[in-house]
Amino acid sequence: MDSGANPGPANAGLRSRIRGPRNFYGGLALVITAGVAIWASADLPGQEGFSFGPGTAPRMFAGLLMAVGVVITATGLIVAGPPVESFAIRGPFYVLLAIVAFALLIRGASIDPFGVPIRFPGLGMVPATFLSFMISIFGSKEFRILESLLAAAAMTAFCVVVFSYLLQLPFPLWPQF
Amino acid sequence: MSDLLSNLALGFSVAGTPTNIGFCLLGALVGTLVGVLPGIGTVATVAMLLPITFGLPPVGALIMLAGIYYGAQYGGSTTSILVNIPGEATSVVTCLDGHQMARQGRAGAALSIAALGSFFAGCVATVLVAALGPPLTALALHFGPAEYFALMLLGLIFAVVLAHGSVVKSIAMVLTGLLLSMIGSDLETGAGRMNFGLPELSDGIGFTNIAMGLFGFAEIIRNLEMSAESREVLHAKISGLMPTRQDIKDATGPVIRGTVVGSLLGILPGGGAVVSSFAAYTLEKRISKRPERFGRGAIEGVAAPEAANNAAAQTSFIPLLTLGIPPNAVMALMVGAMTIHGIVPGPEVMTKQPELFWGMIASMWLGNLMLVIINLPLVGVWVSLLRVPYRLLFPSIIVFCCIGIYSINSAPSDMLIAALFGLFGYWLIKHDFEPAPLVLAFVLGPLMEENLRGAMLIARGDATVFVTRPISGGLILLAVILLTIAALPMIRKRREEVFVESEN
Repeated sequence: MDSGANPGPANAGLRSRIRGPRNFYGGLALVITAGVAIWASADLPGQEGFSFGPGTAPRMFAGLLMAVGVVITATGLIVAGPPVESFAIRGPFYVLLAIVAFALLIRGASIDPFGVPIRFPGLGMVPATFLSFMISIFGSKEFRILESLLAAAAMTAFCVVVFSYLLQLPFPLWPQF
Repeated sequence: MSDLLSNLALGFSVAGTPTNIGFCLLGALVGTLVGVLPGIGTVATVAMLLPITFGLPPVGALIMLAGIYYGAQYGGSTTSILVNIPGEATSVVTCLDGHQMARQGRAGAALSIAALGSFFAGCVATVLVAALGPPLTALALHFGPAEYFALMLLGLIFAVVLAHGSVVKSIAMVLTGLLLSMIGSDLETGAGRMNFGLPELSDGIGFTNIAMGLFGFAEIIRNLEMSAESREVLHAKISGLMPTRQDIKDATGPVIRGTVVGSLLGILPGGGAVVSSFAAYTLEKRISKRPERFGRGAIEGVAAPEAANNAAAQTSFIPLLTLGIPPNAVMALMVGAMTIHGIVPGPEVMTKQPELFWGMIASMWLGNLMLVIINLPLVGVWVSLLRVPYRLLFPSIIVFCCIGIYSINSAPSDMLIAALFGLFGYWLIKHDFEPAPLVLAFVLGPLMEENLRGAMLIARGDATVFVTRPISGGLILLAVILLTIAALPMIRKRREEVFVESEN
């Protein structure tokens, strides 16, 4: 896939040594992943006699992943390939925020990320769905406010009918105090 | 033969009850409804809709899931033909000629040929599944841990070979999937493994979280990057639903050949279904007297891949039902569903729960019938659904996925895991990694490890057991040959051409 692709303009410095950045950075990430896996499974007992311990298979596969990662990283240094596309910020940010908001608000949660406890009230399915919809809609640049509010209301109603009435799932629908 | 008939009769008596027909119809309907949405492939559809089947009795739930699967696949074809946005690899080929037909005002003919071709393929494949089920189950009973391990290895190698792009990168995805599957606790000793002391990870990562993250959320983030125009829906009028006599005459041969190709490739573990539509299309183009018509609205180019696609979708149940090995990501979701209902997929299902086994097979045929019944009259409805702008569609998908994930375990942390996998999937797309081999490896991971450990224990630590036992050795040899072939420069070039051609 990468061979014969048009090489980018040669940059000066270290970056010019990386001819296939997708492979280089992709491979590097795999090496790090493998390293983390080896570290995380280091304390597990390994092979005893004929039988595998809990740590044998993870270390085996992590070792293989490390080797494959090195090969891919090396390929990135040797074979020219297209540059890594830039990452969007807006889309992922609002999509993630919407999911996290739903997770925290559906039945409430307490987190303390900086030593300061923050309590999220359990809003129930109706407000959580509506809010999550409204947050995610900002992920697209094309949002229109009135249309979005109507769609959010419609989708919330649809979800309540499907999950609560038809499937009888025991969700709290409204805030619980 | 009489066995086959009595088994099918048992199946139809199970699947044919009004409630189960209702589940099948409902599944096919919602499957099409979601599958038709642009940018949502079959795997994402099944993953999204999986939770709605949890409340049903096991047989009903699996029948409904099968309905969802076929519906999603047909919905994907509808989108390909009308909008030129394939939900996933299997419907890419249908875009080539299907969308050209739609532009020429022949969308109706393309859609109905796709439905009828799929139905024909479905009928043949159902009989094939029923016929091959018992002998393969009998064979499976001779399988020891070494054979199972070798077979799963072969399946993963297939997934690597059939994935787009670099073989090495696909292998890396397989290994990542295997490692992810080991997070949680050890099967034999119960010791916590690689869970970083987090209680949320002590039972491992839920499969649906990974599937929804990698296929649902990542795809949304990716689509949001694209400009509105590239997602624009074609507003062509659909007229003349019925194909002409000439259309049917032209499509008959391709449908039959597509069915054969699809049925054979679908049985292979490791995602044969994906490649079957490519193979059927290439075959038709090669044997056609006027190959220049392909890509310009040739009905053969719709009929053959659609038939192959559907036949493969069906025969891919064979490895799952007989050996308990999911051959692709959708079947992996099926395993998840079966496990939730307390069914362990494998050779015992047929002997211990014949009504479930045969009921599912019968429901395949019913599901195909439902598709024809639903789709031909409802094409207009699906088209209007395609006019929903993406800016409203994607928030709906997000909240639907969130509620779906929450309904599985009522655990908010599951949503966070899915969100992280969404980001991870986005990163994978940017670096040319494909998520499908990862997902398959994640599902096969625990089974593979268990069988690897079992085989080593029985062989008293002698690793040569995998090559000295005949069946296991044969499977491993096949895997090595496949991998070597895929790595050969000449074949690699040809393989890239097939995928590149289909993407343009």
